[in-house]
Amino acid sequence: MKLIQTSSHEAENPIELSLRQAFELLEPKLRPPFALTIPNPQEYLLLNKAILYGVLCESHVGKTHMKHLHAIVTDGYFWFVSLLVKVVNELYVKLLEPVKSQLIWVTKELINVLAVGVDGLLVCLLRQIIGGDYSDGNLWLCFEMVSIFMTKWDCLLEVEPMILTSGLYTYLRLLADHCRLLSNPKLEALKQLEVDFCIKVFKEKFPLCLKIGRDLVRLLQDLVHLPKFRTIWKDLVLNCGEFKAQGFSGIPQLYNTRTPSEYMLLRITPEMEAHLRFLLTRVKLGNQKRHQAWFSKKFLFEPNRETLIIDIVRFICCAYHPTNEIIQSDVIPRWAIMGWLFKSCTKNYVEANVKLALLYDWLFFKERADNIMDIEPAMLLMVYSIPRYIDVTHTILEFLFLLMDNYDVEHYDILAKGVSSSFSVLVKRGVIRSLDVLTSCDALSPILKERLGRFLSGRKFEISKELQQACRPADFVSLNSSCMETPLPLTEWQPKCSQGDKFGTISAETKVMISDDAASSHSPLVVAREGQVHDIDNMIHNLGEAIKNSNPMALRTLEELLLLFVSLNYPYVCSF
Amino acid sequence: MVPLKDIVPAAQNNINTRFILLDKGIVKTTTTTSSQAQNKTCLALVADETAAVHFQLWGNECDAFEPGDIVQLSNGIFSYCRNNLLLRAGKRGKIEKVGEFLMAYVETPNLSEIRWVPDPNNSKKYIQEAVISPHSRIFPPKY
Repeated sequence: MKLIQTSSHEAENPIELSLRQAFELLEPKLRPPFALTIPNPQEYLLLNKAILYGVLCESHVGKTHMKHLHAIVTDGYFWFVSLLVKVVNELYVKLLEPVKSQLIWVTKELINVLAVGVDGLLVCLLRQIIGGDYSDGNLWLCFEMVSIFMTKWDCLLEVEPMILTSGLYTYLRLLADHCRLLSNPKLEALKQLEVDFCIKVFKEKFPLCLKIGRDLVRLLQDLVHLPKFRTIWKDLVLNCGEFKAQGFSGIPQLYNTRTPSEYMLLRITPEMEAHLRFLLTRVKLGNQKRHQAWFSKKFLFEPNRETLIIDIVRFICCAYHPTNEIIQSDVIPRWAIMGWLFKSCTKNYVEANVKLALLYDWLFFKERADNIMDIEPAMLLMVYSIPRYIDVTHTILEFLFLLMDNYDVEHYDILAKGVSSSFSVLVKRGVIRSLDVLTSCDALSPILKERLGRFLSGRKFEISKELQQACRPADFVSLNSSCMETPLPLTEWQPKCSQGDKFGTISAETKVMISDDAASSHSPLVVAREGQVHDIDNMIHNLGEAIKNSNPMALRTLEELLLLFVSLNYPYVCSF
Repeated sequence: MVPLKDIVPAAQNNINTRFILLDKGIVKTTTTTSSQAQNKTCLALVADETAAVHFQLWGNECDAFEPGDIVQLSNGIFSYCRNNLLLRAGKRGKIEKVGEFLMAYVETPNLSEIRWVPDPNNSKKYIQEAVISPHSRIFPPKY
């Protein structure tokens, strides 16, 4: 009778040992007829351990053990579930195949009785599904878990409805991987079940989905090539009333919700999490080579595993925020780990998704609602890569603009505002001293520098204008519809550093957006051209506004056409 | 359990310590003169947060451990084998894998790269005389 596989020279596992000892000690009591005496608290804990070991190892009498458990339970199964959570988190990989089957069976039994904490157990099991792993064992777990969600739907709603969103996040992410592997017959049935589950959650429990926040859009966009998800996406964009969710106002509502970090953990196994946390708290910069090599060998080397980097990047951005003590120490910083992960990408689509993962929160950043630590790694990676890896700086900055322009053209304003606040907050809070490091960087391509300078000064002006409007109550209406802007006469748009002083009230954050040097270094020719482009931008923004009030489809096409036209003047946009 | 920096060469099987395996050399088959039996050995670099040292894996230990493994040594010995100063389990000691990855380490000093001499005050004890190399010359650091 065994719980786990052990190799030679492997120390005894303390969890396995404590369960086995409890079983061996109480074995006579585990056979019917069961004693009628009520155990004292200590005996109760021991009996729980013994029964758990019995359930997992003796499948032929599993039902008897569970009957025994039902008879003695006094804590709503809390202790029993806690023990199972430990087994899953620390032993799952080592569990023997029949034990894994029993584990799934006992989980279903516990859902049936609405055991306390069984939702947490499901989260732990979801975390054991490894992204990009097409081994039979892993696909089996995918199948078993999605089956649980489908068959135990009503029970789960009663236990904790939010568990459905954990399932949704997990399977949306897994589907992106599963759909990339073409013509794998053993995957087809599983994929269908995964799609059915996700669609069911969207259709029946949409208000819950909103709690996932902006990463829901990120995951969904990776799946719009599947007809069922395309329908969901279209409804989200054009027809949000379809979802019967009170108070759902459209995609921007999702953009404005920072995804809680628990969702990021769902795609990282506990072991991987422990290793990453160790790297980021204990390993010194300059001394990380071996640990990085071990990590890659264990988690990333096998074919198709690379997509995991996307999830690791989201985890590091949003779920691991170092303490000030760590930041000031010689421990390897997050941006250095990001650089290593970034350089580990060999496939283009993975690299693109990794960049999206790194920059995602930039697009929707709001100083009050968001956490600067989510956007810090990308900024520092750009800055610290300048001396030796300018290609990294270049590709990330380029991608940032690409995202801003194309990720959601309908909501360009939101994205541009997000990127602009990101830059300004990063400077204001001292993450970097000034953006000169990019705008005056000789190694950076002139086109990109120009774009950055233009963007920063453009945004600076918008902010100044808002402040001006705020000072004049008569203009309050136009301030409220802040995305509605009038085209600016060329003469009004001058990237002068004195712009702020005119209004007197300009905040420090807009002042640091662009330095005087960078602004004055533009030649008049460049300024004129920028002004024209800015005019076109503004026209497009107005069209965007008009769309909302009139025939959406026709005007949308017009907007896209205009955007294309504008992109002709942006040579680097065309090069993507 | 002793930190690696405190181990001293001695003909005694009394070292209990824990370290992380950093690197492994190739597995060699050697013949011991006494029994004519063939045996596998493999040299490894191991370390903890205080020091590094060369460790000799023996027999099936050679295949049971990989770089990144955290190893518990019980009743090990730190002594000269054919002029090399090595830590090993020996016949009376044992090594077990107790974990992976989660251990910080240093590669200098390397106790196998130190010249030890008998203590003038106590001829049974060895003391450090000089550093031959700050880090392993067999497994140079990977920076």
